[in-house]
Amino acid sequence: MNVTKAVITSANPVDKHLPLQTLIDSKGETRTALQILLAEVFSAGLEAAAIVIPPGEEERYQLAAGPYAERLTFIEQKEALGYGHAVSLAAEFVGEAPFLLLVGDHLFRSLGETSCVQQIIALAKSENATISGVQPTHESQLHLYGTVAATLRAGTQHTYDVSSISEKPTPTLAEQELIVPGLRAGHYLCFFGMHVLPAKAIDHLLARLETTSPSEKIGLTETLNFLADNGEYLALRIDGQRFNLGERYGLLRAQLALSLAGPHRDEVMATIIELLA
Amino acid sequence: MLSELIISSDASVRDTALAKACENLSLAQLLIEADELDQFRRQSDNLYHRVRALFFLHALHRFHLPPKLMGDSVGQIPFEGHQHLLERRFQEAIETFLTTQKNEGPGDAISSALASAYHQLAFQTLADQVRKSVRTVRGNQWMFRMGHPADHPLRVRPELLTPAADGSSPILLERTPVRMDLTHSAWSDIFFLGMDFPEGAKVINVSVDLGVHGRDSETAPPVEAYLRIIDEPVIRLTSVDLKATATIDSLGEVFDFAKDYLGLLKAAVIAAGIVPPGIEGSGQKLSHLLEKLMGPGRGIELVSSVNNIPKGSRLAVSTNLLAALIGVLMRATGQTQSLTGPLEENERRLVLARAILGEWIGGSGGGWQDSGGVWPGIKLISGEQAGPTDPEHGISRGRLMPTHHVFDENEIPASARQALQDSLVLVHGGMAQNVGPILEMVSEKYLLRSEKEWKARQEALALLEELVEALKKGDIQALGNATTRNFYGPLQTIIPWATNLFTETLIARVFQHFGDDFWGFWMLGGMSGGGMGFIFAPHRKAEAQAKLAELMLSEKQRLEKALPFAMDPVVYDFAINPNGTTAELTDGLLPPDYYQIHVPLLMRKAQPRLTQLQRKDLSRYHDACLNHPRFQGSINQLFNSVLPKEQDNSQPGKDSLTSLLIQNGFDRKLHESIREDLLNGRLGLSQNRLPSSTDLQDVDPDDLFDTTTQTSAGAQQLGETALRNGEVAVVTLAAGAGSRWTGGAGTCKALNPFAPLAGNFRTFLEVHLAKSRLIGQAAQKTVPHLFTTSFLTHEPTRAFLESVKNYHYPGPLLLSPGQSVGLRMVPTERDLRFAWEETAQQRLDEQQQKVRESGRAALINWAKQSGQASDYTDNLPLQCLHPVGHFFEIPNLILNGTLKKLLEERPQLKTLLLHNIDTLGANLDPTLLGLHRQSGQGLTFEVINRRLEDRGGGLARVNGVPRLVEGLAMPDEEAEFNLTYYNTLTTWIDIDQFLFLLGLTRTEILENNTPLIQGALRRLAQRLPTYITLKDVKKRWGHGQEDIFPVTQFEKLWGDLTTLPEANCGFFAVSRLRGQQLKDPAQLDGWLRDGSAKHIESICSW
Repeated sequence: MNVTKAVITSANPVDKHLPLQTLIDSKGETRTALQILLAEVFSAGLEAAAIVIPPGEEERYQLAAGPYAERLTFIEQKEALGYGHAVSLAAEFVGEAPFLLLVGDHLFRSLGETSCVQQIIALAKSENATISGVQPTHESQLHLYGTVAATLRAGTQHTYDVSSISEKPTPTLAEQELIVPGLRAGHYLCFFGMHVLPAKAIDHLLARLETTSPSEKIGLTETLNFLADNGEYLALRIDGQRFNLGERYGLLRAQLALSLAGPHRDEVMATIIELLA
Repeated sequence: MLSELIISSDASVRDTALAKACENLSLAQLLIEADELDQFRRQSDNLYHRVRALFFLHALHRFHLPPKLMGDSVGQIPFEGHQHLLERRFQEAIETFLTTQKNEGPGDAISSALASAYHQLAFQTLADQVRKSVRTVRGNQWMFRMGHPADHPLRVRPELLTPAADGSSPILLERTPVRMDLTHSAWSDIFFLGMDFPEGAKVINVSVDLGVHGRDSETAPPVEAYLRIIDEPVIRLTSVDLKATATIDSLGEVFDFAKDYLGLLKAAVIAAGIVPPGIEGSGQKLSHLLEKLMGPGRGIELVSSVNNIPKGSRLAVSTNLLAALIGVLMRATGQTQSLTGPLEENERRLVLARAILGEWIGGSGGGWQDSGGVWPGIKLISGEQAGPTDPEHGISRGRLMPTHHVFDENEIPASARQALQDSLVLVHGGMAQNVGPILEMVSEKYLLRSEKEWKARQEALALLEELVEALKKGDIQALGNATTRNFYGPLQTIIPWATNLFTETLIARVFQHFGDDFWGFWMLGGMSGGGMGFIFAPHRKAEAQAKLAELMLSEKQRLEKALPFAMDPVVYDFAINPNGTTAELTDGLLPPDYYQIHVPLLMRKAQPRLTQLQRKDLSRYHDACLNHPRFQGSINQLFNSVLPKEQDNSQPGKDSLTSLLIQNGFDRKLHESIREDLLNGRLGLSQNRLPSSTDLQDVDPDDLFDTTTQTSAGAQQLGETALRNGEVAVVTLAAGAGSRWTGGAGTCKALNPFAPLAGNFRTFLEVHLAKSRLIGQAAQKTVPHLFTTSFLTHEPTRAFLESVKNYHYPGPLLLSPGQSVGLRMVPTERDLRFAWEETAQQRLDEQQQKVRESGRAALINWAKQSGQASDYTDNLPLQCLHPVGHFFEIPNLILNGTLKKLLEERPQLKTLLLHNIDTLGANLDPTLLGLHRQSGQGLTFEVINRRLEDRGGGLARVNGVPRLVEGLAMPDEEAEFNLTYYNTLTTWIDIDQFLFLLGLTRTEILENNTPLIQGALRRLAQRLPTYITLKDVKKRWGHGQEDIFPVTQFEKLWGDLTTLPEANCGFFAVSRLRGQQLKDPAQLDGWLRDGSAKHIESICSW
């Protein structure tokens, strides 16, 4: 499966400023979060990206995208009608091709040689399946993420067969339905913030939109469960870290992670020690 | 061989009764079997094999070995083993006892200790398994892992965090019906039993709405749980029925269950995962945890209401309240899909799992059907085999969680449901009883596969099928017939104590009144007397409701001094609830009674210290009082609660405390002197003890006469002659309330119809008279029988004897009223700590122990706040008084003229037999009488071989002299374990020698020289020690609620006469059947099974 397009959602009016924040990346360069994210997307070989934004934000996003702006398609979500609705707006951009779905308020850091996006794209090349990047996550964080019920695919170390998806489950539900053999107690496979979805995901979302009232918000989980029930759905345990910029101190955490992986590591360490002293 | 009964794959072998298998085994064979079983249970890794082996071992040592050990060496129980038992180190206790048995040979005493240790280990093993299962149920596990607020995974749903337009917090209200067990499950819903034999665990469980007939205008789900988010970082809990509230700001307090009446609410907060059990003892702050759940500066308020449904209804009100509280908390934190409406099946199961957890956390424990109100309508709840994914798999046959099949209208049509409602009258008889011992008895019998009980269980299962069929057809008459057969057949075969005189009389009177229109009776819960159902032809239901109310009240009034009643009986209105538990978001008002508790507290606060929400609450309450029909009259009620009418016990009146003290010979001077001594530390529990330097040894064989192995020529004839000549009378001590028998309920033990003997319920009084009647018949001379009474028992005993026409007793029957009374005092902290901290105590199971410790801390606080050694007056006047010890009973006979009357009627009277009300085997045995006469002793005390349960004194050599030593006086706790014989208190009294001891003569008694007699008695009393004791006393309040308080009282005891050399005392060892005492209803079953009841029947003439 060849993935050439990415869809990034950043339409939540509350978090719309997050991709526009400025950070110093792991190379020591000052860039916006959006630029850092787009750099990861395009360096993985993808050709085009669409970003779903709130109305009236295109100019600021264009500015924040810097050199990648010209490869971007801007799609406005006029009303905040949910994550699923935001994704469905990319129907025209996506066409009939599979696409990479990312959230705009996340940054990723690989712990190996290949970037996080490259890892999921690599798996997509060899598998004709829906793929979600996942990470073992402690139960105390479940309220923040979608979580999958899955089993390790025979002969692999990081690839799982997904049977169902629960959106922000309680630990009670997780314990009953989402335990994954092989993970530590109290840990579950939660979304990493990136998926490779087939075009039929958008078809499903559009079909749902037709049957719901115009003001009803639409999430993505039901569509993901549809994909799990109607085809192969894999989860890839990404060798990396995700930083949710919307969390409390999320931006700080992301900045520290980037800095400590870059040329200013000693300077940052010295600052931290100074603060702690 | 016996282990075959446990492991055999052949069900017919496996279900063979132990008693049958042991029938023909000799002592030596039984001991070999016991040894093999002990080895077997150590090696087996199957939980139920181990447990059954433990119950087998218990039964061997309790029932099968003792009759074969008669005449063997008596033996002693090593104190070390007893200490292990108290600390719940059962395995070590068994090792110690087995070593003693090996070294010193088998004996009655050591078998009693082994029986107890095996019994306790069996129940502990079962409880451990239930606890493990509760913790490992999926959905519960995470709560035991979470130890830090930062890891808290739950969040309160946004709908509850967003204030309404007027600034008030949204309130989530969960309304839950209660459940009734239509079939009575033959107790098969006990967790242990469902896990042992899941096929046998089946109940028909109906969710019902209730109203109190005549009080409530309509039926409604009686259980309500309210939840809202408040603007303070605390957890506020309120029970409107118990009128209790607490604002909790620390994690430790959440786990302090017995500190107040809010233990159930706290258990819900924990079991719902709001404050998960894993965080207990973490030292973290509650405010941090709440911040994680719902944001800074916020807290949670939980309010419970059960519409004043009385406690003990057997409708599982408290478990369903727990489930409702857990349900509302789980909804609020997103643990259920929907915030409002009914729950999904998987969510109900989760609430059930959490309710089981909550009951374990709170130290209580219901059956697995008790959360039935969470489900809708009528359902079949069944035990389930443990599957590969269940935590119980490979450990027990059944799993902890049952399955629920809700009958739809195709199975049980609406017409059948209506027919049930049209015929059934649901009542609460008012009795309050502890069903705990019953549940233990059932568990043991089922696990032993006791023959008739096992068969009865199968019959009950067959009856369930019949009931279901009747229900499906809507044939309520057939249903009533089946429930009645269940009650009189299987249920009473399994547990004869399931019924009682109150129930039997009610059924008889209802039948008498309604004849064939009375279709059946059915018992709710562990035993009858509380929740019960009466089924009638529909056209007479309304009449039946009124009639039952009248009948129950009149029977309660007739029997309330004989049986423990907690409240006046109640008739319910009920309706089948089709929804189960449901929730709704309300208009922002809490129940009116909530404001009765909180408004006075808020009014006392300075205005600026009120939070915004509290100000809003006051203003909403004000508006509601003006406009809301539910709040009509609330303001008046509020003023009444703020300014209550004083209740003053000290004002004279016929039944006032002051009058009772005057009427019953209260000695104020002595009382003040005891108070002073208590406060100064001269008297107290530790001062009861003999000095530690006392040389206290077991007696030598020559110090007593063993009547079980020896006799004397002519003794029997001598006794028979004395009886024929009318020289003997019986004195039964009946002044006490039987604190252990009814848990301090203040009834008369003598009047308690405790057991069916020869086909009828018999009171202690009747049994004692029946023995004297038989002796009199044999001697052809009636026996005078005296009962000593007290302020508490005299009038009820007199009235009762009059009502039963003295049981047609042919001889003189006299009551000897007490002549003195004490006023109970609030205990000192020193005595409470001595009793609870310095005296060895039976440690409880982990959670129960925590609850007990928390409760005791609260009681110590109560004592300090009420004033140590102050008069205890905060109860019914009769509950504030106490008898002053059985030493005074014989002196009272002299002082009140009863002895004079008897001597005038029977001048030839020479001997009295004195015994306790609960020593059922004591009678005027001619041989013992003859032996006493031959001995020439002034007082002959009867003792029996000590068993583990015989605590409270014994026969000892003290500084070289044999005497009785009270348990209170033992210099240390080990001392009692060196004594072979236990004091039964039964005493043969030579009247003339006793008068000589007092310095009196028959002539002076007959002349009734009161000052002389008083002086003589006072001089003797002064020579005896005064003991301080703690007694539990119940205080009843609300709707069937009871609190138990420890109170201080003093007493002088009869056995201390043995310290006086001139009393010329001697001692007889007698058989256990004669000397054993029945002090606790939990003993009844063993008493029936070991042949004691049969023995009593053999020495009675009714």
